[in-house]
Amino acid sequence: MTLLLGLFLGAAFGAVLQLSGASSHTKIIGTLRLKDFTLMKLIMTAIGVGLIGVHALDALGVAHMKVKDLYLPGIVVAGLIFGVGFAITGYCPGTALAAAAEGKPDAWMTIVGGLFGALTFAFLWPSLESSLASLGGFGPVTIHGSFGINGLLVALPLGGLCLWGAAKLPGPHGAV
Amino acid sequence: MEPQAQVEPIMPWWAGGLGIGLILLLAVALVQPIGVSTQYVVLDGVLLHAVLPEVADGSPYLKETSKGWTLATYEFVFVAGIPLGAFLAAMATNRFSVGEVPSLWAQRFGPTPMRRLIWSFLGGFLLLFGARFGGGCTSGHMISGVSQLAVSSFLFSIALFAGAILTARCLYPEQRTR
Repeated sequence: MTLLLGLFLGAAFGAVLQLSGASSHTKIIGTLRLKDFTLMKLIMTAIGVGLIGVHALDALGVAHMKVKDLYLPGIVVAGLIFGVGFAITGYCPGTALAAAAEGKPDAWMTIVGGLFGALTFAFLWPSLESSLASLGGFGPVTIHGSFGINGLLVALPLGGLCLWGAAKLPGPHGAV
Repeated sequence: MEPQAQVEPIMPWWAGGLGIGLILLLAVALVQPIGVSTQYVVLDGVLLHAVLPEVADGSPYLKETSKGWTLATYEFVFVAGIPLGAFLAAMATNRFSVGEVPSLWAQRFGPTPMRRLIWSFLGGFLLLFGARFGGGCTSGHMISGVSQLAVSSFLFSIALFAGAILTARCLYPEQRTR
């Protein structure tokens, strides 16, 4: 049952990525060159809905939260490495799967490279864990948690700001 | 082969964003936040364990991530659903693009498929290395993590955009002469 649900949610996710242009190299590079804000509007909408919705669910006590650990400076180094790979390929780990299904050979190569990158990381982990990743470990910190306030107090204004920003950024061909 | 056609999205940004947001909410309400990049490790682990079980067992990280060396988990099936859904969507809307080289890449670096494929491999390597080091990717950190107000996810996302925008600027510099 849970497996079927996973397949359904994953397929819905893949279909949306494909139909909205998130699996398109042209669209991603346009976003990173700050020329085409369509995908920026999309991701800000998703985050806005996510922020407000997740914390509303949490307030109702039905959210399954899973907050990732903070470790400095490892997380910043990791983000930078990811960003370089993102700009070279024009795909992220999820959209590469969607683009591969559309028949793009470069997305297939991105996945193969990704499998090797993940495997290399797995074998380097013992030494990384004892060096870079053990520095500045703070555990699963959240913004509202560190202020000791209800998540909705931060999520509502920030989510609203994301949705407002998504609406205000220029759309395709200058239209909103 | 022809360069990849520039296929315009047929779903507007607000519908795409709303769709992804709602999928996240369903996932959070029913199971757990969405994530993709861990499953690359799981597939690595399962494949390696099938071929060289001692080597796979020798990596605590692989053993911990690919629990029981199985792909029959909610998390893996979710990720396997992504290409399935994308394939069906591309079929339904007749938007396949099988060209080897994206048009923007071809304009800048030439239409040679081999060069694009080698760089795609290297980029993919960095992508998943970074994602596993950071503990998540665009879905796990930027969508799920930021939505939960996780500090690590905000920092990862900022570093991601900084690295990606700078790299894109180097790869595709502004054309000053027209």
